[in-house]
Amino acid sequence: MSYDDYLAGDPVVITAALTGGVHGKEASPHLPETPEEIADAAEACEAAGASVVHLHARRENGERSFSRERFQELTEAVRERTDLVVQHSTGGTGAPDDIRHEPLRTDPAPDMASLDMGPLNRYQHLTSENTRGLVESLAEEMRERGIKPEMEVFNGGHLNEVHELLDRRPDLIEEPIYTTLIFGGGTTAMPTPDTFRSLVNHLPEGTQFNTLGFGQHQLPFAALGIVFGGHVRVGLEDNRYFRRGELATNAQLVERAATLAETLERPVATPDDAREILDI
Amino acid sequence: MACPHLEYREANEERTFETARAYCTAVDAFVQPMRADICNDRYELDHTTDCEFYRNAER
Repeated sequence: MSYDDYLAGDPVVITAALTGGVHGKEASPHLPETPEEIADAAEACEAAGASVVHLHARRENGERSFSRERFQELTEAVRERTDLVVQHSTGGTGAPDDIRHEPLRTDPAPDMASLDMGPLNRYQHLTSENTRGLVESLAEEMRERGIKPEMEVFNGGHLNEVHELLDRRPDLIEEPIYTTLIFGGGTTAMPTPDTFRSLVNHLPEGTQFNTLGFGQHQLPFAALGIVFGGHVRVGLEDNRYFRRGELATNAQLVERAATLAETLERPVATPDDAREILDI
Repeated sequence: MACPHLEYREANEERTFETARAYCTAVDAFVQPMRADICNDRYELDHTTDCEFYRNAER
């Protein structure tokens, strides 16, 4: 995708990443944790312009959960209240491979699921390994269950892995290929416009891309994504603040991304638009 | 075995919660939910090797 795609004025798919698995209410009172809180936030985000919701499940005390049962409860609450495209996270640090498959096993299956394309540093002594074997087995189960993979590219090396997987297993990922390019600190891509251009320029032909900036990079990288014909992910999983010192709500962040897209003269995708664009 | 610095609390001086949450007595703060997996040695995590706060406190 490119500036030409921006000029074409195609709709922008806004993904709301509501809660994540890393931080919780100790970081922001606005961060939803229970299925009811997450469904409330999803409904508000749909009204503000989101078409996809990225979900992580939590235990009763807010701690992360990979269990199929918790994802089932959560996804039913969200589906009852919204028409959003449902995307389950398969990410996780330290969890055995079989547990990482659990979020794919709800009934019905999620429309989409995240697929981390390689290792990430976590805290001081931990790595999320995301081996090629795990990536492939998750992609195989997604294919079997008709789940659209959201290939999460945290850095340039992970884009190598996207190309490698598509070359080695051309049967595994159906077109259009959908990636999320992730910018910030640590193992993510350096948050510079040059890095952004480089990653976009090296995407596989025909790839739809989503742009994710952590923290203060959420807003400028949303703008870059819109201008280069991509899509946008915002939400409290990735960024707690509306502006410096002012905590945000999920809906505020979605509303700002929607206003940005409209100001830049790209329409905001409805959930049905998103299903058509991503062939779900 | 869980980390000896782990407690579950409903409040500290700054905030309260309806459900008791993981609290790290080594740093006197509530624990991020993902870190609570380390505190509880869930999955393949181990507080003695994976947590920098435990390692610093035990030095």
